[in-house]
Amino acid sequence: MRGKNNSTIRYFLVRLIELLITLLLVSFMTFAAFSIIPGDAASVILGPDATPAQVENLRQELGLDKPLYVQYFSWLLGAFTGNLGKSAAFGVSVSELIAQRLPVTLGMSVIALIMVVVISYPTALISARRPGRLADQICSVLGHVLFAIPPFVLSLVMILLTSSLFGLVTVGRYTKPSENFFSFVGCLLLPSFCIALPKIAMTFKFLRSTMIEQNASDHVRTAKSHGLSDLMIEFRHVLPNSNVSAITVISLVLSDILGGSLIVEQVFNLPGLGRLLLTGIARRDFPLLSGMILYLALITVLLYFLADILTAIADPRIRIK
Amino acid sequence: MNRRYIDSRRIFFITGGILLGIVILAFLVSLFWTPYDPNTTNAATRLLPPSAEHLMGTDNFGRDVFSRILSASKYTIFISFSGVAIALVIGTLTGLPAGYFGGISDRVIMLLMNSVMCFPGILLALVAVAVAGPSMFNVVWALGIVFGPTFARVYRSGTLEIKERDYILHARVMGVNPVRIMAAHIFPNLMSQILPATVIGLANMTLFESAMSYLGLGVQPPEASFGKMLSDSQAYMTRAPWLIIFPALMLVFYILGLYFISEGIRVNNSRGGIVR
Amino acid sequence: MRPSRLLEIKNLCLGFPGRKGTYTEVLKHLDISVRPGELLGIIGNSGSGKSMTALAVTGLLPREAIITEGEILFDGEDLLKMKPRSRRALLGNDIGIVFQEPRTALDPLMRVGRNLEEILTVHGVKDKEERRSKIISMLSRVNFDDPEDIYDRFPHQLSGGQRQRILIAGAALLSPKLLICDEVTSALDTVTTVEVLDLLRSLCIEMKITILFISHDLSAVENFCDRVMVMNDGHIIDCDNTYDILHTPRNEFTAQLLENAKLNPHSLNLVTADCDYSASPVMTGRSLSVGYGKKTIISSMDVDIFPREILGLIGCSGCGKTTLAKAICGLLPYQGEINIKGGRPGTVFQDPVSCLNPSHTVLWHMKEALRASGRSKDKASDMELIDKVLVEVGLESRPLNRYPNELSGGQRQRVAIGMCLIAEPELIVADEPFSSLDATSAAEILKLLAKINRERGVAILLISHNLHIIRALCKRVIIMNRGSESETGMTSEILKSPSSIAGKALLEAERKLHGM
Repeated sequence: MRGKNNSTIRYFLVRLIELLITLLLVSFMTFAAFSIIPGDAASVILGPDATPAQVENLRQELGLDKPLYVQYFSWLLGAFTGNLGKSAAFGVSVSELIAQRLPVTLGMSVIALIMVVVISYPTALISARRPGRLADQICSVLGHVLFAIPPFVLSLVMILLTSSLFGLVTVGRYTKPSENFFSFVGCLLLPSFCIALPKIAMTFKFLRSTMIEQNASDHVRTAKSHGLSDLMIEFRHVLPNSNVSAITVISLVLSDILGGSLIVEQVFNLPGLGRLLLTGIARRDFPLLSGMILYLALITVLLYFLADILTAIADPRIRIK
Repeated sequence: MNRRYIDSRRIFFITGGILLGIVILAFLVSLFWTPYDPNTTNAATRLLPPSAEHLMGTDNFGRDVFSRILSASKYTIFISFSGVAIALVIGTLTGLPAGYFGGISDRVIMLLMNSVMCFPGILLALVAVAVAGPSMFNVVWALGIVFGPTFARVYRSGTLEIKERDYILHARVMGVNPVRIMAAHIFPNLMSQILPATVIGLANMTLFESAMSYLGLGVQPPEASFGKMLSDSQAYMTRAPWLIIFPALMLVFYILGLYFISEGIRVNNSRGGIVR
Repeated sequence: MRPSRLLEIKNLCLGFPGRKGTYTEVLKHLDISVRPGELLGIIGNSGSGKSMTALAVTGLLPREAIITEGEILFDGEDLLKMKPRSRRALLGNDIGIVFQEPRTALDPLMRVGRNLEEILTVHGVKDKEERRSKIISMLSRVNFDDPEDIYDRFPHQLSGGQRQRILIAGAALLSPKLLICDEVTSALDTVTTVEVLDLLRSLCIEMKITILFISHDLSAVENFCDRVMVMNDGHIIDCDNTYDILHTPRNEFTAQLLENAKLNPHSLNLVTADCDYSASPVMTGRSLSVGYGKKTIISSMDVDIFPREILGLIGCSGCGKTTLAKAICGLLPYQGEINIKGGRPGTVFQDPVSCLNPSHTVLWHMKEALRASGRSKDKASDMELIDKVLVEVGLESRPLNRYPNELSGGQRQRVAIGMCLIAEPELIVADEPFSSLDATSAAEILKLLAKINRERGVAILLISHNLHIIRALCKRVIIMNRGSESETGMTSEILKSPSSIAGKALLEAERKLHGM
């Protein structure tokens, strides 16, 4: 028994060390990318009319005159304490700006993820039970087509449909979650659906083939020979085994959803991270951009880490040697 | 039961070929001829619905939508193909050695690749282009870098599988040098995995490229691109839905065509599409 | 009244719909009857419908399969007329089945105990403690020394033979009347096969379980079953007690089956080179240790191979034979010392499917080998050499522009041997080169290896699980066990009276199975 625990603990330790190294690498890449490029924050903040002396003063104030590695470590230290510096364009702290815009992006991602899971699992289960039958063929063809529609195109079509068919205004409607949570969720539903639909198709396709594979696997045959019914086999064997690989796929889907929401909120004119990003790009606000990239990358790294851990919990072959 | 499987593959391939063919035809035609100049504005012909003169109507600047679509397909195809080429080169140079040598070099290379993959792809591409300045070539290399790790993974997993086969062991015992083993012994056998991945890569890259153009960070005006055409016409879409429909259709045709073809050429890959 | 037949398959016809309305018949008017308490064997080639019969009885047929005619009577009741629910109630309870591949047949996410528990749950054993104690006692019934430990293990922590015993435990848990064994020993080595067969026999006698034993392996059937049925092309062509069937086959097919199954190296009159054991060895290995990561597979082994000798290497699966071969070829890092005369050794591996690169032609393979050996001169003499070697390995047809998938297994193995010869090595390492080939091609390759040894004086390290081959070909043999040498010496002496435990076990199993 002790041997088992040892290999499990070692697995989690190794993953944790890898997580730390990845975090460092990600932060370093972000910092390096913004250090190579010409034009620094000081001249952006002060605008084109500033005198060189003014710029130099501000550079000192911001610490831009120090060696790069000192800048990197103070930036990294700040990042750990939630201090990502001041936005050059807004003059407000970057963390504050991100915190303001986060509810929209995060809300859409969560709603979209729920849609993906809730819709793709049952449909895949039905499809995989009788592959080649009508229900499966309809789901599969639909899946293939929806897979290929870019979320922002889907959004445009949805806006067109809702406005011309139902006379609904779906663009630019937004309620803060602090005012009315339900109407906040309500105005995120359609945008979330537009992000989720291609991902539902993708997850469905993956789950369907995994489940078909599982249904034909030797251990399912053994379970059948033990006298289990189809439903019991699905819940005891097919679903848990499909989840092992599905966890990774869903974590990839979630990171895609996060990226997709940056675009779709632009189509629906919602005040999320996407709009902040575009403003940052347009005003060449490097502290804001680097802060946002680091922040989103952190979320993704942690997401993948979580997926790895969940997979290891689900699959003893990974955690116990 | 075998039959249904083969048939569905053929149907996918043919449908995909037709859809892709439409876009490629538009691209070929645009090289030699467009009915009107795609970029000349004309206040007299603003927002005209489709007619015999303007097959797909005109936009808010009076430009012929059909001509713009022909010319936009050119950029879409160029960007996706050259971006994938860059990503393939990155993937080959990193994924193959990582998989073949394993050990420390594998860990280091894959850690680097995975770190790149931790940045949401679209974000990375957007910021890269924003920082380097929006232009078609910047879009191409940014997308190439963003997609490189994906191909590296495909190459690596394929190599890991093949390097254990007896013929590679034979080659190692015979003393063939590692570079030649990778290039002549392993690489040709990766084709069955690389080809579908490449086609899917083309489609995914187009998804990104169109989103970037939609946000104004892709092909620069006045040149036409599907994404930019869609964002420009969003304000007029209830009045002039043809401005949305045709570019959206072309975009979906291209991506869907590529997906279908990848589904059609998928060889001996049990994941996906098999009806038992 | 209890019927005199436990299972009776009458006139069963089964098939699959195929392309454009065609229909492939798999079982053609099949008649089988199984008496209560007997051990009945069914033998036949792959594709003869043996497995479909097992699946039809258990109701686990693929969905596409259609039964057009016939009935399957179990204890007097027609299974085909039963409702799915009541058929399921029989499965695991009255009818048990065990399949070929034990490595994938248990749910990898569940502990052994939970894997087995579901049988009791569905068949109405409500009490948790009762379920546990039943499983534990069954696990010790199938010869696990520490059933409590096995109960809490995951399948991937166990060996193939252990997993097969667990599956048998599962199938026999509710003491079914009928246990169907579909190729249960095909994926196991000889020692484990004998263990499993002994176990099944004891279950049959002590628990009064009738066993239907399906196999293509005649030797497993020979010393195990009371009666044997020979199946070909979807129906039974012969049926009698085992001895009569196997010793006086009454039809051509059975005779052919017997012939193919037994590769008899003694009838081939193999002549090998004379070996001088006083000469300096062509390969010496001193205190070799090999391992993957921290796991040690081989610990401090010494190996000598003398010029012109064929050295046999035997041992049960997992004992480190292949690892040793790989280390000698330089494919694995090792500690200790390996000296090989005449540069790199040649290699021939087991799998004729992956021994050649599917993307290249035979000519490319030969040229590549020549290039790597550094013997390549000008184009004309290269081609001449390639031509000569191809003829030597018996490929007179010179299939230069063919791809591996256009060649047979034996031909591919020949090309691989040719690739070795072109470098003119002094040592060839051959790892189970015959085990994936049919008897005829195996005999041909065997003759070829003997000829190469005789004519070229090449030393060969031959790894094989087939003691007949080792006996016919090798003068000297090494028996390996758990990563080290258990004994070595002249084949004639060692195979007559082994002194080590591993050697004895190996020989005992071989004797039981093949009657050496």
